[in-house]
Amino acid sequence: MNEQMTDLERKARETFDASVEALDAETRSRLNRARQAAIAELDTAKAPAWRSWAPVGAVAAALVAAVLWRVPGTGEAPQAQANGGAPLELVELVAEGEDLELMSEDLEFYGWVAAQAVESTNGVG
Amino acid sequence: MQPPTVESTRMKRSGTLDFGAAARLLDAEPAGREDVRLEHSQALDRFLASVEKRAFRIAQMAVRDADDALDIVQGAMLRLAQSYGRRPSEEWKPLFYRILYNGIRDSQRRRSVRTRIFSLWPGSLRADEDGPDDPFEHVSDGAPDPSERLMASEAMQRLEQAMVALPARQREAFTLRCLEGMDVAETAAAMGCSEGSVKTHYFRALNTLRAQLREAW
Repeated sequence: MNEQMTDLERKARETFDASVEALDAETRSRLNRARQAAIAELDTAKAPAWRSWAPVGAVAAALVAAVLWRVPGTGEAPQAQANGGAPLELVELVAEGEDLELMSEDLEFYGWVAAQAVESTNGVG
Repeated sequence: MQPPTVESTRMKRSGTLDFGAAARLLDAEPAGREDVRLEHSQALDRFLASVEKRAFRIAQMAVRDADDALDIVQGAMLRLAQSYGRRPSEEWKPLFYRILYNGIRDSQRRRSVRTRIFSLWPGSLRADEDGPDDPFEHVSDGAPDPSERLMASEAMQRLEQAMVALPARQREAFTLRCLEGMDVAETAAAMGCSEGSVKTHYFRALNTLRAQLREAW
């Protein structure tokens, strides 16, 4: 609302404000509890659906990269051989329970792992 | 959960992969995320605290029942937190009022259906007079209850009576624009209509209220 309120608008606003201020303590308390419940809900609110699938996609990409690297005929990368086959480490990494837990917590990390795996495969192929 | 797992994961890494960088990423982010989450919770708390009492009065004026009004406001708060709590705070106000009015309409619809169903039951009308099994006990008669009468000033009662006579959309426009002080764009977003419609509804509401309240005020 701008400053050019008519008398009616001003009186209506003041009257309404007064009725809000006159709310009893019990109502205020119940509103406060309702607010706390809503805030708690924010803390437990689920992440968007795509985020819950992101780690799965990242791990799938890492596994595909690892499998491609291991399939006969695709050629083994000299650098990968030299370093002991890092993509296989990735398979081990995600195959262990504790890392699967971590997976759901740190999506960016697994995105990065997948990118590294692809980079590793491409870079040496 | 993060630190031990990060460490154990880091231990396994070697070769061309820069696991150190990943570990640094993991070490740094959770704390930052926690800060952001806390800040967001506090911002939402402040916002809801600033609108809850006014929202309650708006709902109470619309449904004429304090318990129903409280349910509506609580539902609106929860819905905002669940569905839009992570949206930018500038969007909260119109979203909140939009949810609030949806709740008000739902409540009024349910009450209307309930009243219609009971009206088809002549026996229940007699029971109404008899006592404890009164099916109308919780159905509002449209009049302010005693505590409400005590709370509201005479001027407020007159305003409420005048607003009840307005068409729903005019009442919403008047409430949001005048009583809540929202601008035309915010009101349009809250009502889910164009700014032109808001201006029209508001103009008509003002004219009607002016005519009705001229004598009383």
